[in-house]
Amino acid sequence: MPSMVVIATTAVPDHLRGALSRWTSEVVPGIFVGSISARVRDELWRAVTDTVGNGAAVLVHPAATEQGYTIRTAGTRRRLPVDFDGLTLIRMTAAAKAKETQSPS
Amino acid sequence: MLPRIADSLSFLYLDMVRVVQDDTGVCAQIQVDDSRTDTVYLPTAALSCLLLGPGVSITTPALTTLARHGTSVVCTGSGGVRAYAGILPDSLTTHWLEQQVSSWSDPDRRLDIAIRMYQMRFKDADLPTTVTLDQLRGMEGQRMKALYKILADQHGIGRFRRNYRPDQWHTQDPVNLALSAANTCLYGIIHAALLALGLSPALGFVHAGTQHAFVYDIADLYKAETTLPLAFALHDSTNPEQEARRRFRDNLRLLRLLPRIVRDTQTLLTTTPPDTLQNDDTDEDPAERRDVHMVHLWDPKTGALPAGVNYAAGND
Repeated sequence: MPSMVVIATTAVPDHLRGALSRWTSEVVPGIFVGSISARVRDELWRAVTDTVGNGAAVLVHPAATEQGYTIRTAGTRRRLPVDFDGLTLIRMTAAAKAKETQSPS
Repeated sequence: MLPRIADSLSFLYLDMVRVVQDDTGVCAQIQVDDSRTDTVYLPTAALSCLLLGPGVSITTPALTTLARHGTSVVCTGSGGVRAYAGILPDSLTTHWLEQQVSSWSDPDRRLDIAIRMYQMRFKDADLPTTVTLDQLRGMEGQRMKALYKILADQHGIGRFRRNYRPDQWHTQDPVNLALSAANTCLYGIIHAALLALGLSPALGFVHAGTQHAFVYDIADLYKAETTLPLAFALHDSTNPEQEARRRFRDNLRLLRLLPRIVRDTQTLLTTTPPDTLQNDDTDEDPAERRDVHMVHLWDPKTGALPAGVNYAAGND
């Protein structure tokens, strides 16, 4: 049974966007929305993880969790899904602050 | 409609973080090292209960936002093994508390709930409809005895006898010590769940006479599958109490029990006496109906009356 998926991509190769657009609609640049079966979803996601390179992608699809959906990511960005005992929240990794460069007066 | 504890079972446990309200929402700040602080935004409006473990500091604006969204906040021990205090938001429904108090104060309904508590523990047993509380207590005793024996055999220990006497604490065997420590952990998480629902932990249906009577009632539903096997597994531990607490904490096994505790408690308290079943013409969810925008006035004859109405007219 097909279910809705959302795939958000950042800086992925053009051929991957082509592959995604064959199954889904690119509603805004980089955001693909479609209604596909779990099997197609897994195949597409495998293509994404194989070719993501320096880019990043996130897949959101319905699941039998308390929240009703699950999140999968490929590539690394500052936002990281973290599991809090079944509840998935997004952890924003902070950029390391520059060390104090000024010498003490 | 905003999610409530009735349809959303979101418990979030945090420890070793600082919870603040910033420009956009409530977030937990996680100190990674001296130069880096990660943030996790909390879905306050979709969350029923926030459990604060050790090492959390929270600001008043953050608490205010949580209260505004109807999120209960409970201060707990590590991994929810203790419940110290509950902060209930103004907007929390009193539906479950009213259910508890009205069932508790009516001897027939109280007995019905006590019976159903035993029935929940004997899921496979075919109980006669006219079973008395005496018989159930007896059956429960036999079952526990049998369970003790099975577990003792499994772990190759001789006869096991539960010892409740605190004055003999240090002379007790490891299983008894581990069981006491594990049960205390179980009471903690159940206490937290009851506080989050706005229930009174003191009004029990089977137990009575302590501030934790209802906690003990609910805990009994889970001991056979949680604390007992754990305690017997620790029969040759050198520090059974600590080990029991650690096993519950490390695997966060108790936190995973939370949604079930809430569901089972709500099922137990949802009793409609047979005589009122027919004239209940609304098919709304009872919790839904109770979600009043303003307070009700109580009337012994008609039940709930709308508030905010001046009833002086007929009397002058």
